[in-house]
Amino acid sequence: MGLRDIFTGRHQVKGPAPDRLFAITTAYVDLQAEHGVDPSGTAAIVFQALATSEFESTIKDMEEVVTATGGDNGTTVKTEDDSFGYRWMILRSPAGAPSVEDLAVGINAVSSSIETAGFGERLLCAVFGFTDAKGQRIYFIYNYKRGYWYPFVPAAGDAQERSTERELQLKAQVGEEMPVEPEIERWFPLWGIPI
Amino acid sequence: MSFCDNHCMAHRRQTFGKDSGLQARMALTLFLLGLLYVVFVGVLFLAGAGAGLIVVVAVVLLLGQLFGSDKLAMAAMGLKEVSPDEEPELHGIIDRLCVQADLPKPRVCVIETNVPNACALGRSQKSATVAATRGILQMLSPAELEGVMAHELTHVINRDVMVMTLASFFASLAALILQFAFFFGGGYGGEEEEREIMLVILASIVVYAVSFVLLRTLSRYREFAADRGSAVLTGRPSALSSALIKISGAIEQAPSQDLRRVEGSSAFFIIPPRAKKSLMNIFADHPPLEQRLAALERLESQLQGGLTATNA
Repeated sequence: MGLRDIFTGRHQVKGPAPDRLFAITTAYVDLQAEHGVDPSGTAAIVFQALATSEFESTIKDMEEVVTATGGDNGTTVKTEDDSFGYRWMILRSPAGAPSVEDLAVGINAVSSSIETAGFGERLLCAVFGFTDAKGQRIYFIYNYKRGYWYPFVPAAGDAQERSTERELQLKAQVGEEMPVEPEIERWFPLWGIPI
Repeated sequence: MSFCDNHCMAHRRQTFGKDSGLQARMALTLFLLGLLYVVFVGVLFLAGAGAGLIVVVAVVLLLGQLFGSDKLAMAAMGLKEVSPDEEPELHGIIDRLCVQADLPKPRVCVIETNVPNACALGRSQKSATVAATRGILQMLSPAELEGVMAHELTHVINRDVMVMTLASFFASLAALILQFAFFFGGGYGGEEEEREIMLVILASIVVYAVSFVLLRTLSRYREFAADRGSAVLTGRPSALSSALIKISGAIEQAPSQDLRRVEGSSAFFIIPPRAKKSLMNIFADHPPLEQRLAALERLESQLQGGLTATNA
């Protein structure tokens, strides 16, 4: 933010960074083969739903497009609003056949149609669900503003605790395959992920 | 990756119009303030050596204010840092807004009072603190609270504490000169020197009075800018409107006992002015509620109108 912005007290909400969403499609291969972290077959994209008719119709069209393309590979789409007023568009692979590629294509279709409609700055993040050998739920979160990924591992139980140790292990495991958010204080948690 | 950059930029569109009027008024205020200060510095130079010492003292005070007043204000207002475990909802809101604004997470504090209010502190984005009172947490819905916290985070993004502190530097200097005026009045020196001292004192009075008005004006403009920033950040101008209506209503309609508690606990207004300047309080030096609501209403209608091409 420049000096001019400071003087004018004006700032723009950042649009999405160069897209590195598809890093997940290469990163998961090693995770699954070598570290026993399996994709759960669900992914979601989270954005601020503007309460305007233009935005709503954009979303509606998009949902139809994703459902139509998803029909080929069996991916289903569901939307949910969370208590913070953010909308989750949840994509689910058909049972028994989780496909990170199909999910990433679906998520990308959603984000690019939001961007094309001019609402790119409303995108918050994309979340991909995984489980490890012990049944622990693991999420990889893609921050659209920064163009970085980070792991998020909520500890078991209802308490809002995260297993930072596990997250750091995962960071080491994905290694070079994925652009991981370098500032660890920006690994923002998402509690109550509905996937 | 550059091609992707271009691709993204091509689709950028403004959801909200420009705030040219506000910007022009803010620029005028800053210009007048600058002009006033230039003249003041000129007078100080004319007065000669004695003034040099005052400037040094003022610079030291300014630095102290920039680097020390946070802790003073935090102590005076009873800010208590809270962990995500203690205040999951507040942290959740701020986490999401920080992602949205691409901002490092500030310290999150709660003030244990029923008075609904919120504030932001800190000279830079890295050292920022945002705080909400217990009253505001209980009163507002999540969307409204998000609007208020986005307002405070916009103060952090715009570095309003820094801007106001720097903008008021010469006003503080003038105040300092007035406080120590009797030292100069000592009358050991020629008639000429006494005239110069009188000139400095007179100039200080004028600078203090005029800059007071200008600074308050500037502060109000920064509030408008923060309201706007909140709307841009959350995409929900009306949620902030609703929060402002609730907060102001609560302040007006509180029963007398609560009002007395308002009096007693308003560390906001009792703490020394230097510390007070380090706050961007949601209601300190605020524009009238009607004007803020009207500005937010304009933003909401721009949003609803799907303002695409009419940026001018």
